[in-house]
Amino acid sequence: MKVGYYPGCTLKGKAKSLDDTTMLAVRLLGNELVEIPDWTCCGATTPLTETKIANLIAQTRLLAKTRDAGYEGLVTTCPFCFSTLKRANKSLRDDSLKRRRMNTYLAEDQRLRDYEIPKPAWEEYSGQVKVLHMLEWLRDEIGFEYISRAVRRPLSDLRVAPFYGCQLLRPSEDLALCDPENPVILEDFLRVIGADTLDFPARIDCCGSYLSIAKPSAALRASFRILDAARRLGADAIIVTCPLCFYNLDSAQPRMLAEFADFRTIPVLYFTQLLAFALGSPMELLGLDSHTVDPKPVLMKIKRTAGVEP
Amino acid sequence: MSQPAQRIGLFICHCGRNIADTVDVEDLARVFREEGELTVVEHYTYLCSDPGQNLILNAIKSKRLDGVVIASCSPILHEETFRAVAEAGGMNKYKVDIANIREQCSWVHDRTPETTNKAESIIRASIAKVRHSQQLQPIKSPVVKRALVIGAGVAGIQAALDIATAGIEVVLVEKNPSIGGHMAQLSETFPTFDCSQCILTPKMVEASRNPLISLYTYSEVEQVSGSMGDFHVKIREKPRYVYTDKCTSCGDCTRVCPVVVPSEFDMGLQSRKAIYIPFPQAVPAVYTLDVDNCLGLFPLACGKCRDACGAKAINYDMKPKIFEEHVGAIVVATGFDLYPMNNLGEYGYDKIADVIDGLYFERLVSASGPTLGVVRRPSDGKIPKEIVFIQCAGSREPERHKGYCSKICCMYTAKQAMLYQRRVPGGQSYIFYIDVRAGGRDYEEFYRRALDEGVIYIRGKVSKVYQEDGKIVVRGADTLAGGPVEVKADMVVLATAMEPSRGIKDTAHKLGIQCTADGWVREIHPKLRPVEAVTPGIYLAGTAQGPKDIPETVAQASGAASKVIGLLSRSEITKDPLVAVVEEEHCVGCKMCLMQCPFSAREWVEDRHVAVVNAVLCEGCGVCAAGCPSGATTQAGFTNQQIYAQLAALLYESPGMIHRTLGINDPIRPDEIAVNETDTEPVKALK
Repeated sequence: MKVGYYPGCTLKGKAKSLDDTTMLAVRLLGNELVEIPDWTCCGATTPLTETKIANLIAQTRLLAKTRDAGYEGLVTTCPFCFSTLKRANKSLRDDSLKRRRMNTYLAEDQRLRDYEIPKPAWEEYSGQVKVLHMLEWLRDEIGFEYISRAVRRPLSDLRVAPFYGCQLLRPSEDLALCDPENPVILEDFLRVIGADTLDFPARIDCCGSYLSIAKPSAALRASFRILDAARRLGADAIIVTCPLCFYNLDSAQPRMLAEFADFRTIPVLYFTQLLAFALGSPMELLGLDSHTVDPKPVLMKIKRTAGVEP
Repeated sequence: MSQPAQRIGLFICHCGRNIADTVDVEDLARVFREEGELTVVEHYTYLCSDPGQNLILNAIKSKRLDGVVIASCSPILHEETFRAVAEAGGMNKYKVDIANIREQCSWVHDRTPETTNKAESIIRASIAKVRHSQQLQPIKSPVVKRALVIGAGVAGIQAALDIATAGIEVVLVEKNPSIGGHMAQLSETFPTFDCSQCILTPKMVEASRNPLISLYTYSEVEQVSGSMGDFHVKIREKPRYVYTDKCTSCGDCTRVCPVVVPSEFDMGLQSRKAIYIPFPQAVPAVYTLDVDNCLGLFPLACGKCRDACGAKAINYDMKPKIFEEHVGAIVVATGFDLYPMNNLGEYGYDKIADVIDGLYFERLVSASGPTLGVVRRPSDGKIPKEIVFIQCAGSREPERHKGYCSKICCMYTAKQAMLYQRRVPGGQSYIFYIDVRAGGRDYEEFYRRALDEGVIYIRGKVSKVYQEDGKIVVRGADTLAGGPVEVKADMVVLATAMEPSRGIKDTAHKLGIQCTADGWVREIHPKLRPVEAVTPGIYLAGTAQGPKDIPETVAQASGAASKVIGLLSRSEITKDPLVAVVEEEHCVGCKMCLMQCPFSAREWVEDRHVAVVNAVLCEGCGVCAAGCPSGATTQAGFTNQQIYAQLAALLYESPGMIHRTLGINDPIRPDEIAVNETDTEPVKALK
């Protein structure tokens, strides 16, 4: 399947390392992902609004653009983008009223754009593009089997706690990625790249999400519970997929040191950082300097024992 | 063919407000009256009530009606009622037709002119059908005085015993090696703590000893044909490789068998051999060789059991046997299975050995169980000090699991918690619940008793279960205290949902009966005919129909048995003559119908070279009538003439409909006129 890549806003800013290591890992796997042309916002939180146009328009335009560029699928790494795009796509496929509303609006919108010459004809979009999360793409298109053979730096000494967060799993009937109560895809992935994957009870808990803005103390407690559970299991690092989880779990740790007496820091890594590292990428390319809790000492442990030079 | 009906009466039912709220019943009556085609047009609040039926009866008698259309609810509900009225009035009862304007109109639409128009169309089609209907006579057929009961759990056993009490022979079929069902696995039963085995095993023995009951264990119903009063059933007996009449149940074979597998009866808590008896009280008390786990029926490979058997009861060459039985009625008592725990990821079943389901716990506390009633957890055999019970595991969760309430879990969880606390001094049980549903005599008292005995009830759902420091941590919400709650336990028991027994779809298909969306066998009417399947002659007992506890199951089984006795006590039964009819002079003998008929009701007559209809077997599905290339086969009550007339009537747009849509007939209310006048006052003032 020919797929386009959609990074989304956060991956070009705060979570640059997620974007960089995604591209790096894909290259190390001997593949290539190209960003879809002229991409815009995925809609972010607008799907939560009640307005009938605004809650779907950004996604529809993006997905139609993906189709027009000749792609059958769209891969995202950010779980927020994955969620908004996949849910919108499903609405467009299943709900004829929404489909008609969106296509009518976008066709009209196109007609009004006089500055675009020649004016392209609007072709109805009805949810043909397949929206995939990077993990899904790695599993179904690249193949875990292939990845396991490409691993150059086995991570068997690294005890990792996989953390899913919410956007990747729920609402499960729309996203259909995993059983939301008992997901497996991240664990499967981590085992494939050779990491010692822990059965992490807090893996589907809430990281605090946007409460880190509205009510930071509540978010702090939520992320503390997750980090504490990982520490008690003896985890070396927590592996996340989502920039917001990363933010809540990583950057809040200095405050936790001040608030909770028995707290000890624990590094947080994106799954793509670990993938690129396992595939043999030098540590300098992983964007580790942006982390609040330095993961280098933990990764150094691997470097020594596995005998592969950076 | 008889003369077309000329004097037709139309009776429109309001069904209280069920129809009249949505369909303009009075307007319909007015339209048909003004048309003047019908002899009688009436509408009434409840036509099915006594005065309603009298209204119809009197009209038939006084106006000498020869056709009647009842516009009311679905014919499933009251077709029989109104046919009886017609017969009492001296009319042929097959010249009555039901225009279903409730289920197919008023219940599914809003009150708009179009809804009334649809009702009018439905009625017009019915009138057209009745106008071309024929005088038909019911078909009489003899009744076979034997009954088949499928499933020999407590429901099947009770039904079989009750039917046999009336002197009627019963064929009792059970797919497992022993009868008894799930009830044989239980420890004590709520709300009286009487031992399940003590009340069930005497019934099992009684069923096996009753000379009127023929028991087929390790057998399944393979094929069913025929109809009420006259079913032909093929039963497939799986090979046991042990002669039931020779086996003395000495157990010598089990002692030498080298294959050890988990025991199904003990939910894997204990092992059994490949040749085994499911439990000591099994009926019949004979051994069964489980061919899937046996080293092979090739004596050179093993053959130890055959050598050890002193009674020479083992034969490796046994083949499946097919038995044919001829019965008049069938009881479906196929029971339930538990919803698989591995669907419930949040409760950690696949990761934690000490997360078990309710049936498993029953075996743990059962005096005849593998631990002899000592509560030991499966992982290391230690006695748990704290147990968490989670109710509604899979029930009442329409998004991900089952939407319904499994009904028995509240009570059996209370029972299990009490049993555990009595067996383990100092043991503490916690129950997570959504609601405690203790409807039933002495049930609420039973729940109170659990509270008094120190069981801790926590109202809320469990979000996850995980292991930490050798304990099982159960995290959930306490919705009464309004906060998260965490219990560290040694064992977790899930009250998993009940679901229909795994093979029910297949069985239902063979019997031609309907199931609900959840897979339970559907009854013909949930309130008034709760033990009858939609197909005549088939009755329901126990949890095949929906979640039930033991008292309810037994009551329903007796109810089904009494229905069977009622049917089989008649010397003959009558059947509606709405079957295929062949005009033999038009039949070309192509035999297409013989291939099409799903009920084997078409028969070939070689000397006349025609295919005739066996009216007793014919279900009137219409397949052969539609498929007959020469048009020789027609369907009584659904002739081509009737169907074309119905179609024409459905497509006709009457003036009444047009007026209604345009609102021409809407009366102008006096108060509206008054409003209009005051509106014009300022205009007048200006002038």
